[in-house]
Amino acid sequence: MPGQRVEIAFAGTHAGFARGFERLRAALDAERLEGATRYDVELVFEEIVANIVGHGARNGCEPRVHVTLEPRPDSIVLIFADDGVPFDPRGRPDPVIPKSLAEARVGGFGLMLVRHAASSLDYERTADDCNCLTVVVPRR
Amino acid sequence: MQLQLGDEVEGVLNLSLVGRLDTPGVDIIETPLTARLVPRGASAIIDLSQVTFVGSGGIRMFITIARALGRKGGKLVLYGAQPLVAQVFETTSLNQIVPVRSDATAAVAVVRT
Repeated sequence: MPGQRVEIAFAGTHAGFARGFERLRAALDAERLEGATRYDVELVFEEIVANIVGHGARNGCEPRVHVTLEPRPDSIVLIFADDGVPFDPRGRPDPVIPKSLAEARVGGFGLMLVRHAASSLDYERTADDCNCLTVVVPRR
Repeated sequence: MQLQLGDEVEGVLNLSLVGRLDTPGVDIIETPLTARLVPRGASAIIDLSQVTFVGSGGIRMFITIARALGRKGGKLVLYGAQPLVAQVFETTSLNQIVPVRSDATAAVAVVRT
């Protein structure tokens, strides 16, 4: 049975990230979400928030991050809002599969993992100048 | 996140990682793991059976270490990954550039080739 919508707000810093992740885990425990779906939700949270913390600062100011977790019967919806640098992840290409270790890129895997875990990804830059990314993770 | 040193398997360094390879986990383990493996340039196998989560930071770390080790003539082989972790390796194609095997014996066999 899907549970309640959960709101998690934190500073876009490493410490804020850790606190946000703790609250996410508590919410997933309350939802009794386990296995592959839980892994996918944690993976999406990890990759999107790490990107905001690593690249979202604007004019030297850390972004504020707000995550909404919405359990539905067939999916978990995650809505990430932040006031950092505008970033639409939808058009970013996946890394090319390398032929050798020497050719391998070391970046770009985060969004690839998010796209793999999600059934849909929607983005808008809101009227109040925030990124708003909605990721639907199907239950499996 | 913890790094544990195991007994050598047929002369190959055998390490275990325990915990989560998320952003904080990689921050904790990358420097000591690199320091343990890369300067000596010796081949190593890493047991991932007690790693419950790997994100893109973990993928980046394995590629970086395997590449640095390769420049010194060593090989890095991963083994024992849990199914959901193995799925991340397949999604990112890590398993096409860094060997991933089911157990220590198979991992050592890759080092020997």
